This record gives sequence, structure tokens and C-alpha cells, in this order.
Amino acid sequence: MNRTLARSLPVAAIGVAILLPMFMGDYPLQVARNIMLYMALAVTWDMLLRSGQISFGIAGLFGLGSYASILAVVRGGMPGWLSIPFAGLFAGLAAFLIGFLILRLRHTYFSIVTLALGEIFRIIIHNMHDFSGGPEGIVVQQGIIFGGASRNLYWLTLAGLAVALLASYWFEKSKVRFALTAIRNNEISAKSSGVNIFRWLLLAFVVTSAIQGMMGGIFVMSYGFASPETVFSADFTLLPLAMALLGGIHSTVGPILGGLLLGLVSEWLKLQIPYGHLVVYGVMIVVVILFMPQGLLGLARKTMRAAGRNRK
Amino acid sequence: MTKLKTIGLSRRFLGLVAVNKVSFSMDEGEILGIIGPNGAGKTTFINLISGIIMPGEGKIEYKGQDITYMPAHERARLGIARTYQLIHPLENLSLIENVMVGSIFARGHSMREARRRAADLCGELGLKDLDRDTSKLTILEVKKMEIARALANEPEVLFLDEVMAGLNADETKDLIATVQRIARERKLAVGVVEHVMGVIRELTHRVIVLEAGELIAEGPYEEVSKNPRVVEAYLGGAA
Repeated sequence: MNRTLARSLPVAAIGVAILLPMFMGDYPLQVARNIMLYMALAVTWDMLLRSGQISFGIAGLFGLGSYASILAVVRGGMPGWLSIPFAGLFAGLAAFLIGFLILRLRHTYFSIVTLALGEIFRIIIHNMHDFSGGPEGIVVQQGIIFGGASRNLYWLTLAGLAVALLASYWFEKSKVRFALTAIRNNEISAKSSGVNIFRWLLLAFVVTSAIQGMMGGIFVMSYGFASPETVFSADFTLLPLAMALLGGIHSTVGPILGGLLLGLVSEWLKLQIPYGHLVVYGVMIVVVILFMPQGLLGLARKTMRAAGRNRK
Repeated sequence: MTKLKTIGLSRRFLGLVAVNKVSFSMDEGEILGIIGPNGAGKTTFINLISGIIMPGEGKIEYKGQDITYMPAHERARLGIARTYQLIHPLENLSLIENVMVGSIFARGHSMREARRRAADLCGELGLKDLDRDTSKLTILEVKKMEIARALANEPEVLFLDEVMAGLNADETKDLIATVQRIARERKLAVGVVEHVMGVIRELTHRVIVLEAGELIAEGPYEEVSKNPRVVEAYLGGAA
């Protein structure tokens, strides 16, 4: 019975997600789009975390992809739809090159450098006035994707989320899981089992960065606009992180669950207390880390185990 | 046939010479004891051979090939495996999955094949209930899992770093027999670091003695244990 439920639940969720635009107006659709965007970022952040590396570079790669996409369209005349996979490719390639330098770092050092990366990208874009549009940003003048139809943009974002979920599923079900888990637990013993640590970290970093860049492409193509302040916003780093922590790390379901909850709460909070919502996120992160380090998923597992014991 | 050989192998840590010009060799099918007082450099010596740290001077040869500066994961693939004194089972991986890691990455087997081989290995070592969480294992089971994990590399040279520590007399006896059988069947060259001399006497064909990083004696245990330099190293000037 539990098995059937576990199998039919994702199928039902996918069905609902696909059909949602049939029953929703523009505003709720835009909220849903936002939430899915953050979910995809949360899942990819978690995928790298499974190797033990804490990245603060989500906004950096997201922003890099955003600009790769919009500049390809505005300056290079690339079709909007093509600029989205291009953004992923560009961010992935950047991560590949940067990875050779920074994947030798661990712990805090890695985190700090990823945080700095985002700043570096932002400053470069900020100062390349003639090419990037500088601090004022850059607008897609014509040929905006889907003519801005919100249903289609919803499905586009859903497709982006699907890519993130499939990648995460691959990480969970293939030998990638063994490699990353071994690295996270003990690098020395991983090496002794033949794990080429650098190679697997590079794979995780490139794949997650490419998806983050692709989501950036989807984001800017949806709005037809990018500026350094919007696409490199710290929100794109902090919210996904909070979502994954809330839902439960080292899983695909956790970040999705956390994304749904925090996404809805944040939308409501934005209306209730403008700008105050950021304070609430902060408090939530602290509470989650202190009282349920395994997130909601961990809490659910614990409760179920306790219930199972009581039945015996 | 010589499997592994070091020539003048040295490593110092900030002026402290942890391993000092050690030359030794290990043959196929041989169980070699590596003994010496605390801090003699036994674990550092194994770390050098398995590539966890790199030597300052000297040379390491595996089946005639120079592997002195080869990365650890490549040595694992070549056929050198080891266990760790402080065992960290991989959390979030079950008992059998822990054993699969070496099979997947050191040997390049598919997940299905790795699972089959890991199940065989666990069976051979007497491990049961393979889908268990590693936090549920007894000390003996953890030690056996660590050995199975090393054997998953399908090595020709195996180092066991204090696998008997913390076991009671019966468990120790059980594990000695297991190690002997595994070494014999696979024609392994096994290097054993152990503090319990009874284990060394039972298990090994030959021992080398390290003191302050230097190799001070070599030979069968019965002979070496009577060597005045060795007795002095263990008991200090008082003897």
C-alpha cells in the first residue's frame, strides 16, 4: 500500500504540475514559475553538497547564464529558445575551467571562493558598458520568447526544473552517488578505493553549474531583461540554500518539498511584510539548522520510524 | 616473486623524520608483520606505500614499476589496497554498498556486477544482512567490512592497519584464520600492523621492526623477538 502510494505520488505531482496553467490566472502562474525556478536551483545546490562541497556561487552561475543568454540574443542575434541551452553550455564550460582552479579547495575556502566568483562575474558585467549594457541592464527589444504568454513560460520553467530533477535522479541512482558519498564521508578512504576525487567533483560542479546557468537563461528570456542587480541577486544563493535545508539535504525530494513550502510562505510574506520576509527566512534557517538538521524529510523519517516501533 | 619493494624510502614532517631510509620487499603469498613501538612510523610507512602521502626521498616499486609519486587512486587500481586504523564507514551507504565502492571505482565494474561481487566477498567474510545501515554493525563486523572494502579492489598487495585492535580473544582468533585463508587463496602479499604480539606470532611469516622511522630488524618473529635491539626499542634502556 505504501509502495503504491510512493509510486503514484510523483506521477500525480507531475500531472498536476503540467496541467496547472489550465486552471490558473497570470499572477499565480508567475508565483509558480518563481517557485519552480528556485526549486531547480535548490536541487542543483544539493547535488554538489552530496560531495560535501558547500557552494555560495549559485547566483554567480545563474547570473552568468542569464547574461550569456541575453547577450547571445541581443548582440549575437541568436533565437531566444536556443539561447537557453547555450546559457547552460556556457556556464558549464566556465565551471569546467574554473573547476581546475578551485576544486582543490575544501570547506570554508571553497565556499568563500564560490561566493567571490559571483561578485567577480557581476563586476565584469557591470563594467562592460558597451557590450553588456552596464548597471542599467539590457533589454530584449524584439522577438521575446513565446510573445510573453505566461502559460508557455510556465511550461518552459517546468521543463528547466525537469532537467534539474532528472540530473538529480541520475546522481542518486548511478555510481555518481557512490563517488560523491565516498568523497563526502572520507576522501582518504575514497582514494584508497580508486575514486578519482578531482574528476567526480569536477563532474558535479560542471553539471550543477550548467543547470544553474540554464535556469538563468530561462529567467531572462521570460522577462526579456537582465541587470547585474537582478540576476546576481543574493536571493538566488540564499533562498535555494534555505529551501534545501528546510526540506532535507542529500536528496531530490527534500529541496523540492522545501522549495514548495518556503516558496509559498515567501510569496505570502512579501505581501504581508514587504522586505521583512528576508528576516523571516533568516530565522527559519537558524531554527531548521538548530532543531531539525535533517530537515522536514529527516523529521518525517524519524516520526515514521517511531510509529513503526510503537506498532511492534 | 617480489610484489612490492621500497628503496631508501624517507619522509619527514617539519624536521621530524617519520620514515628514514627504509628498504624492504614483500613477496607473493607472504604475510609480513610491521611492528615497532608507538610513533615508530608504521602507519606513515603504509601511507607512503598507498600514496596517501608522498615520500621525500627514495623509491617504491610495485611489480617492477616505479610508483613512487603515483596518486593514491591509481595505486588502488593497480592492485594495492589497505584498511584504516580509524574506520569511517560511509554513512548513507549500506553495508554492501560500502563494499561496492572499490569494485566500482578501482575495478570499473558495473553497479550490478559490483553488487554481486560485494555479496560474494561479504559471504566469504561471514557478513550477513547486507542491506543494514553501517551504524548497526558490531566491532567485528565493522572490521570485516573494512577488509571486504579493501578486497573489493581485487588487490595483489594488502595492508591491514591494526584490524585486530578492540576485538576479544575469540573474535581475534576468528579474524586471524580469515586473513590467513584469504591471503592463501588469493596469493596476496599482506602487510600487517599490529600491537598484539600474539597476533603477529600467529599470523606472519616474517616481520620488520621500525623504530623512530628506521628499520632496525627483519626476520621470522621468533628470531626478531630475541634481537637485543628490538627488545631495547620496546622496553627502553631498562632492559
